[in-house]
Amino acid sequence: MMITVTVNGLAYERDVEEHWTLLRFLRDSVGLTGTKEGCGAGECGACTVFLNGKTINSCLALAVEADGGSVQTIEGEAVDGQLSSIQAAFARNHAVQCGFCTGGMVLSVRDLLQRNPRPSVAEIKEGIEGNFCRCTGYEQIVEAVLDASGQLDDASKGALRYV
Amino acid sequence: MTTMFNYRAPVLRAELLSLLADHGADARVLAGGTDLLGDLRSGFVQPSLVVNLKNVKGYSDISWRRDDGLVIGAAVTINDVLQDARVRDSYPLLVACAQDLASHQIRNRATVIGNVVNASPCADMAPALLCLRASAVLSSHTGERKVPFSEFFTGVKRTVMRADEILEEIIVPTETAAARGCYHKLKRIKGHDLGIVGVAAMNKEGTLRLGISSCAPTPLLVEGLSARDPVEAVVAAVHEAISPISDVRCSREYREHMVAVFVRRAMQEVA
Repeated sequence: MMITVTVNGLAYERDVEEHWTLLRFLRDSVGLTGTKEGCGAGECGACTVFLNGKTINSCLALAVEADGGSVQTIEGEAVDGQLSSIQAAFARNHAVQCGFCTGGMVLSVRDLLQRNPRPSVAEIKEGIEGNFCRCTGYEQIVEAVLDASGQLDDASKGALRYV
Repeated sequence: MTTMFNYRAPVLRAELLSLLADHGADARVLAGGTDLLGDLRSGFVQPSLVVNLKNVKGYSDISWRRDDGLVIGAAVTINDVLQDARVRDSYPLLVACAQDLASHQIRNRATVIGNVVNASPCADMAPALLCLRASAVLSSHTGERKVPFSEFFTGVKRTVMRADEILEEIIVPTETAAARGCYHKLKRIKGHDLGIVGVAAMNKEGTLRLGISSCAPTPLLVEGLSARDPVEAVVAAVHEAISPISDVRCSREYREHMVAVFVRRAMQEVA
């Protein structure tokens, strides 16, 4: 089936199989491999993308469902080679180890900060409950979100308290 | 995903119903897809046709009808319910159950109706809908019927629905609006997880209703109770109603114990 999907601002018209997931379309047809397949069952969040402004697990959506819609992936996060404030905070606070969860994690954090610009630690943990990280133990990720939301003083930014 | 299928996304209700009439059990309805995509991937279901209902006009609406109450359309997501100010004011129990369902990404896609149609014993929305005296409007090309949720579930992943029917609307009556309610769900982790035991409680002017998940082949309603009943009598009534199993997540005895713990806590909260 022919579908037209806008991905990170560019329109792609592609022929896809009806049974393809949105994840497979992004990786195999569009060639954007920043969106990862972890569990393939909606548990881990490594495949998180924005579809029409809402975060979803792209392993649990069909590509054909996105026809006429708009998708944002992690590749759309940096602009003109400049890291977004969230990406910069992740780097500064060592919130990345193997990096497999990071794309989905960053997008969930973007969504959280759009809904709640100054989340508490409890709200941060709830906001990323659909994204598993098996490396960092989450402490550095929580620090990065506090940093990105302007809740760390200068001395604490990138202080790596939990590394 | 190995299964091949045809895909349709009708805009007209009549087309949706006629597709289901023509294809019956060979067709699967796609709403949020958070259960269906997993079942397609594992080969648990192998439909020849997948029908997306999200484009049908009006199906994404939360509305209020004077004679019925709250009407939840077939494509309304869990987050749609959570973000609706009037639902939050009127049905705190619905909100409590919705809040505990999966993760934010899943709640952006999963529908209220999909949660009950799939009829898992651990469905989080079922205890609320049972307590709130909600009904399912089942529609097919031959007509409509209204089934209260107390008569909707027939077994593990089984309901009264025929293959040519869809659950088109959930109606939550005004009589249970503004009732006190709470939901206790036992999980292995604090983050998103399937329930091991779930207890919803509703107190409407002294009438107590309990919705129990993960303790029987179907979500259960325990009614005929008063908020003034002795706590241990209510616990005994719940133990009489449930038939929990031991499985990979916990033992029967642990479920029996925790359901009593949650009933005691819930009764205090809605007193």
